[in-house]
Amino acid sequence: MPVLEVDGVSMTFGQGEHAVRALKPATFSVDGGELAALLGPSGSGKSTLLLAISLILEPTTGRISLNGREVYDNGPTGVDVRAFRRQNIGFIFQQHNLIPFLTAQENVALVMQLNGAGRRQAARRATELLGFLEIAHRADALPANLSGGEQQRVAIGRALANEQRLVLADEPTAALDTERGGKVMALLRRIARERRSAVITVTHDRRMIEGFDTIYHLDDGSLTAVTRTEEGRREGRAIG
Amino acid sequence: MDLALKDIRRHLGKFVATITGVAMLLSIVLVMNGIYQGNIADGVWLIDNTATDLWVVERERGGPFNESSRMPLDSYKSIAATPGVAQASPFALYTAQRDIGGTRQQFTTVGYDVFGGLGGPGRIVRGRAIAAPHYEMVADQKLGLDLGGRVVLGTHAYTVVGVTRGAVDSAGNPLIYLSLPDAQEVQYQQDNRALAAARSTNLKRLERAGYPPEQASRLLPLLSTAGDTVNAVLVRLAPGADATAVAAHIRDWLYFNVYTTDEERELMLAGRLRMMSAVLGLFRALLMAVSIVIIALIVYVLTIEKIRSIATLKLIGAPNWVIVRMIMEQSLALTIASFAVAYGLRELIVPGFPRTLTFLAGETAATFAVMLAGGVLASLMAIWHALRTPPQLALGG
Repeated sequence: MPVLEVDGVSMTFGQGEHAVRALKPATFSVDGGELAALLGPSGSGKSTLLLAISLILEPTTGRISLNGREVYDNGPTGVDVRAFRRQNIGFIFQQHNLIPFLTAQENVALVMQLNGAGRRQAARRATELLGFLEIAHRADALPANLSGGEQQRVAIGRALANEQRLVLADEPTAALDTERGGKVMALLRRIARERRSAVITVTHDRRMIEGFDTIYHLDDGSLTAVTRTEEGRREGRAIG
Repeated sequence: MDLALKDIRRHLGKFVATITGVAMLLSIVLVMNGIYQGNIADGVWLIDNTATDLWVVERERGGPFNESSRMPLDSYKSIAATPGVAQASPFALYTAQRDIGGTRQQFTTVGYDVFGGLGGPGRIVRGRAIAAPHYEMVADQKLGLDLGGRVVLGTHAYTVVGVTRGAVDSAGNPLIYLSLPDAQEVQYQQDNRALAAARSTNLKRLERAGYPPEQASRLLPLLSTAGDTVNAVLVRLAPGADATAVAAHIRDWLYFNVYTTDEERELMLAGRLRMMSAVLGLFRALLMAVSIVIIALIVYVLTIEKIRSIATLKLIGAPNWVIVRMIMEQSLALTIASFAVAYGLRELIVPGFPRTLTFLAGETAATFAVMLAGGVLASLMAIWHALRTPPQLALGG
């Protein structure tokens, strides 16, 4: 069953003769356990699509369904967008964006506490998650004292803290060297497979292309092609 | 999770520096509160501590504190005969500056009838009241005099027989109590050259008026009036007497101005103390405004520094109240810590401060409340900026 269904989602900025169509109607779906890439040059609409999926920007047209719940249908559906994001969508950023005055463990626990978890419970679960990400030994370190790869692992931990089914990653390997980037990709794949999450990554990092199951090609605001990689074929995914 | 405190811990140096600076400003505000109230307390001390019901002064005058007042010495006798008056006593006061204990000191001398008259020192902390008609004094300890100490005023030396504490005039200068004749002698005593000049002038006037020199010389002593006046007459009312009626009687029949103690107090507050109080009030308001502006700027800068973190918080779904709380807590933490340090600084300043400082718990609490409200206000600009920050700011490189 698809975690995310996007149907005819488009985005136009401005009105009248000043209107800019940043995203032409796009339709696709991503299953739980699938690792998908949005690939395209700068200005192709990748980030716009990511912002629309996460309801940070309200689409102009289309329908978005997450975990079987309709969150946008040519207009808001009454969902508390911020709470919905907190509970269902995890974000991973190019620059990690950890809260600089919180330790690694606190960064992960914060998202759980925002979602109503108690302080001790959040701390315990954060430590477990950091253990899963093989970084528990750095739990008390501030982000400034972590390497880029370590920071990205903590950011991934934060994206999974509330067991979100959809993880959106914005250029997660762009700031890392090939070796560390490869490790992050392996980790994202493991997350998708083991936690049955749908992971969508915006990238133009061609070094990492082979690691994805599905690649959505965007160009000039249009979803132009969908590629199933060898990994995706092994997983038996259909294009759709 | 308390984001504000965790951020403060990370920027501890910046917070400590800000708190120190703001606390210094606030300590000045708190000390000025003390000066303000001390100014009022000093201003009305003599009025409040002179056990009298009515102050009788020269007609059309607001004396004896706000304006000079001169009355014939024996006017107290006719006032004493007024219906409803139990006792009337002459009262003199004037400000002087003399070398006492090796330093030039300003003080006010109070002259009163030492044999049961009104206007004497209220509470003597050491020694006794004046018991002799001449050459004894009661002095406030602020002058640095002790029992048995001697002070030369004019041509005589006066012995300290009693010491008061906190007895001050409206300017905060200490008081000296003398017997009325001694006070008048010191007040009106002229040096020999001035006396000779006055005599010569009077002699010429008499001669111009047609008196032969021999007769004019005999009339000269009668023209000298020095020492025949007092500044006020203090009145104690008979039991059951109506102060308003007695005052009206004295005004209408004896042609003097009469004030009750409350009216005299009001005269002082509305007169000499008004401008001083206004200036102090203005400075206090300005310093508090500056403190609030500094806190606002610091909170704003701290917010701008973590604007990407705020965008990230919004992106990961943090409700607005989490962000508002973080900023407001920091602002209030700055305000409260600054006030606490300022309070400590005030306690350090008080013992060595040269003027009377009077602190009212209510006023200190009000200052704290104003600062707290200011702290909330100070955070509004930063909160406004934070709430306008789009979550997508967290995306991208």
